[in-house]
Parts: sequence; structure tokens; C-alpha cells
Amino acid sequence: MRVTTKVKTETRRRILDTALERFKTDGWHGTTTRAIAVAAGVATGTLFNYFASKEALAATLIGDRLGVGKRDERKGPVEETPEADLFEFIWTGFSNLRDLRAFLAPAAETIFSPLARSSVESPGDAIRIDHLEQVEAILAGHGFQGPRPLVAQQLYWTLYLGVFAFWAADESPGQEDTLALLDQSLKLYVASLNEPLRKETS
Amino acid sequence: MNIGELLTELPEDDFAYPGNGEWVRARVGEILADLSCRPVPAGSLQRLWTVSELSAQIALASFGGWLRKWFSSADNSTRRQMETNLRMALTIFHRLGYLRGAMIKLGQTASHLPGLLPDQVADTLDRLHFDVPPMHFPLMREVVRNEFGQGTEEKFAAFEKEAFAAASLGQVHRARLKSGEAVAVKIQYPGIARTIDADFRNISALLAPLRLGKDWESVKAQFEEVRRMLHQEVDYLQEARSTRMARELFRSEDGIVVPRVHDDYSGKRILTTDYIDGLHLSAFLDTNPSQESRNAFGTRIYTAWKRMYYAFVPYADPHPGNYLFLRDGSLGLIDFGCVQHYGPEEREIMRLADRMTFEDPSLMREVVRRVCGVSDDDPAMADYLEMMAESREWMIEPMKRPGPFDFGDEAHFRKGLDWFSRTVRKRITRANPMYVYWNRSVFGIKALLFRLRAQVDVHEVIRRERPLMKLTD
Repeated sequence: MRVTTKVKTETRRRILDTALERFKTDGWHGTTTRAIAVAAGVATGTLFNYFASKEALAATLIGDRLGVGKRDERKGPVEETPEADLFEFIWTGFSNLRDLRAFLAPAAETIFSPLARSSVESPGDAIRIDHLEQVEAILAGHGFQGPRPLVAQQLYWTLYLGVFAFWAADESPGQEDTLALLDQSLKLYVASLNEPLRKETS
Repeated sequence: MNIGELLTELPEDDFAYPGNGEWVRARVGEILADLSCRPVPAGSLQRLWTVSELSAQIALASFGGWLRKWFSSADNSTRRQMETNLRMALTIFHRLGYLRGAMIKLGQTASHLPGLLPDQVADTLDRLHFDVPPMHFPLMREVVRNEFGQGTEEKFAAFEKEAFAAASLGQVHRARLKSGEAVAVKIQYPGIARTIDADFRNISALLAPLRLGKDWESVKAQFEEVRRMLHQEVDYLQEARSTRMARELFRSEDGIVVPRVHDDYSGKRILTTDYIDGLHLSAFLDTNPSQESRNAFGTRIYTAWKRMYYAFVPYADPHPGNYLFLRDGSLGLIDFGCVQHYGPEEREIMRLADRMTFEDPSLMREVVRRVCGVSDDDPAMADYLEMMAESREWMIEPMKRPGPFDFGDEAHFRKGLDWFSRTVRKRITRANPMYVYWNRSVFGIKALLFRLRAQVDVHEVIRRERPLMKLTD
């Protein structure tokens, strides 16, 4: 039994490593699950026992880099403003994904697109839920009463995906254009959160 | 500074004509109303939007005024075209307003161009661009990492998270090097430098209707000069070179201090220099300094300006934020982003103009020919000669009587402004591009000495500094 678990873990790891290699060399569209299975030395059917789809594979790769499900505790506020802490959180994520950038943009399109979501659980859900929880924790640390209404969360996620897509294709030196875009997007977002408060006080 | 205050600083003249002026005013009102409906309560963002929208409004109001002056005799169809252009301008400016830096640069651009902006508004713009919202620490750290491949923690022995000053398009932090020196680290907001060309393409589109005018070539060249200088200004490696050059020009007995550049801690977007502990102009004035102290600082400011000019590297942006008043009485010069580097042609023109000013007024016609590109048979020659004579008169006024000249004399300052606005009204705007920044420099230095109410022995300074000018290359 223990051996089986070990083998399973190893096979899963091998499939993931192989997939990453394939995605990097052949790109998102140029890679098939069959090619991954062959390269990893498993039957295609076996691969599907581990990952339901190519999207699920990529989502796992991304999720691993982002530490999804591995954070024991939420960090309290470090910087003075929520913008700064959100910036730090998002940029750290981008930095951890940097070597995946080449295939991230097309992959993210199907993994995260709201249009791609079916009745079954979407492969990007775990990442989205984890990310939004983290954002809630950061905002709570700065005194914002949560959780955000669904619309506000969706607004945030849309903004985030926009920046994400921009970053994935950003050719400026050091992705400095993304730095500026992220900075300004977060200012916009936090400003929109402040709005109801302002109405109350005025 | 709020919107109301700024709008009242706009000269009435630019609004007081029928037609486009009213329209600009109404549209500016619309933009403001539109903005006030938006959710922009966050401190820094509000400042960002306010600043950028304001620069846009000022630039636009002046743009409107400029177009009006240019086309004062235009027929109806031209007027309609003008209005279309204004509309387009407003739309573009409004959209650009979301980008930090872009508008600030446009505002600066407007303030450089003779004819676009009255001096007091240019001065206001200077203050505005000193007021850009800050980068928070995580963002700034990434900019540092981009430049050095290391974060602030690894690169520096100590680094203050809070900026102690704003710079154009960036901010300045105090830090300590691993070797122990206290330094000032200037950091540029990401992505700004690369937007300049796009901004200028937009401006060129807006200026399309001017293309038929006889002054177009000159206007175009002047725009090109501004674009070139802005590129230079955002390139901190270039600023490091200019700073080193300036540092070599001054000795300790001058009482003028230029900070040392730390090359290992500097790059294209980050500039690290010695930290100089001193007061800015307004803080200095708050200490209620004696007349002697004002005079001493004024003399140093004027000396520094003249010396750089005669070394063919004029200090083109003498705005108050670039000067530090030190406790021991010496003057700190701290920002060399906007320094011109005269080449052979410009040196030649400068020598000629200098001789005309101080030695031989009969050279005036030749100066007009060389500097303004106006030929003897051009009907505009008479106007240009008159303009040049007045300009010379104003330049040498401080030397008319022996002894110190009181730059606090408002009449003198006004005379320059009047001259400037009259030349614009008469559309005497053809000039070698080097004069875009020279004009700004002259008005900047006189405005600074005016605020300082300094008395400076101009005779003496020029007698001392003028021989530094190399008569041949």
C-alpha cells in the first residue's frame, strides 16, 4: 500500500515535470496530452487518472508555483497600505511563474476564462479561490470588513486577469510596463473599495 | 494646490475671447464634473488624477489660446477645423490623464514652448511636477531589482522606505552604502521613459493644422528639441555624466557643491549621489534670512548658472527644487537631468549672441539671421530686430548701474514677461531650437532670484565668469 502511494506520487511528479518541459519547448497549443504521456512513459489513459485535462495539468503547475493549498497561515499587513501589500502578493506570484511565461498567456485563456467554465469544476477554480482568499486576508488586515460582495470579487478577478494577461506578454525591460499597470490597477481597485465608506462619512 | 486656485492662476487673456475660449472653458468644466463623479477617494490616486487632469487643462487652455493667436485672421472653415482639433485634443488629453507621468511631461512640454504658456503658469507646472504621487516600497524595490538584479536590502547597507523628496517622474530616498556613505537615491517610475515617443506622436497629430504656416519648420524643430531633452532627462546615465561634468566646474572656494555620483549604484533609471543636507528655497525663506544671506546665495546661484553657461553646458531647468541652501552658506546643486550640451554650431551662435549682448550691439542683424533664420529681405526682419533689441536691453539691465542689482525688483521681472508675451502675440517664434531651453533657463533663474529677493553684483560675476568661455573649439 505504501509502495503504491509512493509510485503514485512519483508518477504524478513525472507527468508534471514532463508536461512543464513540453509546454516550454512546444508551447501550449503545440503540446497534446498524448505527447506528454508518451514522454513521461505512461499510457494516455493513465495520465487521465491523474489529470482530467491539459488545462488541469497546467493549472496544477501554476497552482504549485503559487503555493495554492500550502499556505498554513495568512500573512498580516506588512506594508502601510493595502495597495502595497496586494502589489507584493501579486508580484511575488508573477515572479514565481516567470519561467512559465512563454505558455502562460494561451494557457490562462482557457484555464481562467469565465466563458470556458462548465458545470463541472474548472481547473482554475482552486487557484482563483485561494487567490481571492488571500486578497480578503490582506484587505482584512487593513481594516476592510469582508467578505467582499460577489460583484466586487469578480471585479477584482477581472482586473487581476487583465494584468496577468498583460504581464504574460509584456516584452518591456524587467516587465516594467506591468509594474506600472499593476500599481495603477490596484490603486483603482482599492479606490473603488473606499467609495462606500466615503459616501457614509460625507 | 487645488483646481480652483490653479484655474485662477490662468491669465484671463486666454479665456476672454469668444468662440473657442468659451468652448474650452465649458469642456474643462465638463471634465471636472465628470471627474468629481468618479470614485477617486484614495489619497495618492486622487492626487494623481488631479495633477494629471490639471496639467491637461492648463496645457489645453494654452493650446486653445495659442491656436487662436496663430489663426487670428482665419476664415470660418479654418476655425471649424481648429475646433475639431481642439475636441480631439481634449479627448486624447483626457484619456492620457490616467497615465502617471505622461501628462506631467505634456505639461512640461507646453511650458517649454514659447507662445504656449505664460511664465507664471509654467512656474505652477513646475510645482506640480514636483508633486507626483509616491511609489510604495514593494514597487520601488522591483524597480531597484530590475536595475541591479538585487533588492534594496542586498544592494544597500540601509535604505529608507519613505521617500524624502519627489523628483520629476520619480522620487528620492535616503540610503547608506555598504562603504558607509550617506546617499540620495533617485528612482524613476517604471515605464515612463518609453512613453515619450508615443506622446509626441499624439502631439504631432494635434499640431497638424499648423503645418501650412510659415513657422512650421521652426516649430517642428523646437518640438524635436523638447523630445530630445525629455529623453535625456529620463536617462539617468546621461544625468550622471552631466553631474560629473558640473562637479568638475566648481571648487570648494566657490561655495557651490555638486554631489558625487556613485556609479556602482546608478543605472538608466536609478541615480545615486552623495546626500546633501540643506533646505529648499521655501524652507530657507521660512527661516527669514537676512539680506546678506539672500545676496550671498543669490550670487552663488547666479555664478553657478553663468559658469555652466560659459562652459557650454547650460543649466536649463533652474527651478527651485534643484537648489539646496546649506547651513554653512554654500549652495547645493542637485539635479542635472536638464542640462544642454552645446555642440560646435550652438557654441558658435552662443559666442555671437554673447558678443552682441556685452560688446557690440551692431551684431544684432547677424544674430537674427543666424539664430532666427530670418533673411534680410524677409518682411519680418524689422519685427525680429526690434524683439532682439528689447531682449538685449532686458538682459543687460542688471548691468546698467555699477554695484549690486536688485532681482527683487518686480518691474524688471515684469518687463521680461511683457517682452515674452508680446513676441508671442506677434508670432515672432522662429528660433534655433537651442533657445527653447535657453528662454526657459533665463526666466527660471530670474524667477528664482526674484523670489529670493537677492541683490547680485552682476557686473562682477560676469567679469569673473565670462573669460571661461572658450573663444574657439
